Amino acid sequence: MDINMTEDVQNSLKDEGFKIEEIQELIEKAESTGTKLKHKSEGTFIAKEDFENLTRYAVYTTSDGELTLCSVYAHKMNINGPTGGNIHDVEYDDKSEWICQKCNEAALERNVDLSYMGVTRPGPALVCPDCGEIYVSEGVAKTLKTAEGILEEKRA
Amino acid sequence: MPAEDYAPIDQDWLEKAGNLWTTPWADTPSERVIVDPIILSHAASMFRKSPGYFYKNPEEAVRMVCHTCELYDVTPVGHYLYADYWGEDYGGELKFQESAPPGMQKRPITTPEDVDNFEVLSPEELAKGPSCTRHFRALDTCKEEYPQMFAPITQLAGTMELATNWAAIEDVFMWMITDPDLVDRLCSKAVDHMVNASKVTADRYGANVMITGSVVASGDLMDREQIKRFSYNPVSKAVRKVLNEDAGPGIYYHLCGNHSDDFDLWKDAPMSPFTIVQIGYDGKEIFPTSKLVENFGDRCTCFGTVDTKLVDRGTPAQVYEQAKQQVLAGKDSPRGFILGTACECPTNAPPANVHAIVKAAKDHGKYEKF
Repeated sequence: MDINMTEDVQNSLKDEGFKIEEIQELIEKAESTGTKLKHKSEGTFIAKEDFENLTRYAVYTTSDGELTLCSVYAHKMNINGPTGGNIHDVEYDDKSEWICQKCNEAALERNVDLSYMGVTRPGPALVCPDCGEIYVSEGVAKTLKTAEGILEEKRA
Repeated sequence: MPAEDYAPIDQDWLEKAGNLWTTPWADTPSERVIVDPIILSHAASMFRKSPGYFYKNPEEAVRMVCHTCELYDVTPVGHYLYADYWGEDYGGELKFQESAPPGMQKRPITTPEDVDNFEVLSPEELAKGPSCTRHFRALDTCKEEYPQMFAPITQLAGTMELATNWAAIEDVFMWMITDPDLVDRLCSKAVDHMVNASKVTADRYGANVMITGSVVASGDLMDREQIKRFSYNPVSKAVRKVLNEDAGPGIYYHLCGNHSDDFDLWKDAPMSPFTIVQIGYDGKEIFPTSKLVENFGDRCTCFGTVDTKLVDRGTPAQVYEQAKQQVLAGKDSPRGFILGTACECPTNAPPANVHAIVKAAKDHGKYEKF
């Protein structure tokens, strides 16, 4: 699979320590299983891959058989599941701008439990109410990076 | 008083207090619960200065707070804030008063048309405005002179608090009845302002602790549906945006006043790994820590409270007893616990009463979970 990307995106791959082959594999898996989020109006996808101490994401678009990588990001905090233990009804409009491609359901904006260095605390995420897949948005990943740094300093 | 006129902060105390302060956030073992009596102009009384002097002199204010924290052996954080931020930035007039925090005298919004014409300032404009300029004088002093006591706080409160700094409270409450969509639009602008103000602090210091919540929007003035519509929903939207735009990660939900009928809404408010919830009152009574921990303990750090009226006018024994009950109920809350006051420590609270809270934490707030 050929992936188009700008120089900025190439640089951010290097900054994040990702290899292009790893991103290709991540996207191919998402495309074949349908485990990805699709933006309801922009045609952008978010795919992810969970490792023990890292979750990686790729944001991309597809058009006429061509794939363009828009950005990559990651977080070290491990996603445990919905805060409070389950997805329950809430008294606000929790539907996000993203659709779970597998289930064709709007991903919900919810708090999920995140663990790092033995500490478990909440963080905002996108949750499919059907299959339960959880994604962290790129913006929140930056916030988590700050949080991870603070925990590393405090737990040192 | 310039910096050199203060006695040096005891570094052993600072290290120990820092360890106690880290526990609620990072689960690092320590001996006991730490106390945060939310010291602001009370610090001025310790130096025989007035609230007016405190608020007009942010550099000195933060010095007084830091040294008062040491005196009481409480959270080692230099605070400076007051309720009426952000009105001046939009053309309102803030009056500094001798015996009270500064208050809005003239507000920028007086008519419904003003609401629709109101334009939210950009982060760049806010950074140069009077609220940030004054606030950063305090924060920069703390960062420079007391770096271990520095926290990059942005004082926002909630959308209704901003709305009533921009327009008279009686106007906003009348519009809530006669034209609620207008108040929705005003609160929506408050959301944008909250995000922009948070970005200013995050850009300047690399992180931000957003002090938000619901103060005017409490059960004493609004019902649950009004709080949900004009406070909980837009505040949640603001916090979500702040966290999505890397302007966090600290979120402090200060639910001041009575929140008997709406506290449960806030269980689902957006949270970050550094989120704390403090609820003042349950009807006329202090919000029981047992209820706070039952509802929020498996979610975020909990801030148990002692009645500020008691701290101001009660006896040390009464304060100690209430603090004891609250700390016993919360000390081993799974995601961290801090004991404090329901709101800012009253300016002229007897120091013996503030000390009574700390004594109760020392006597009864030893952790069992470590």
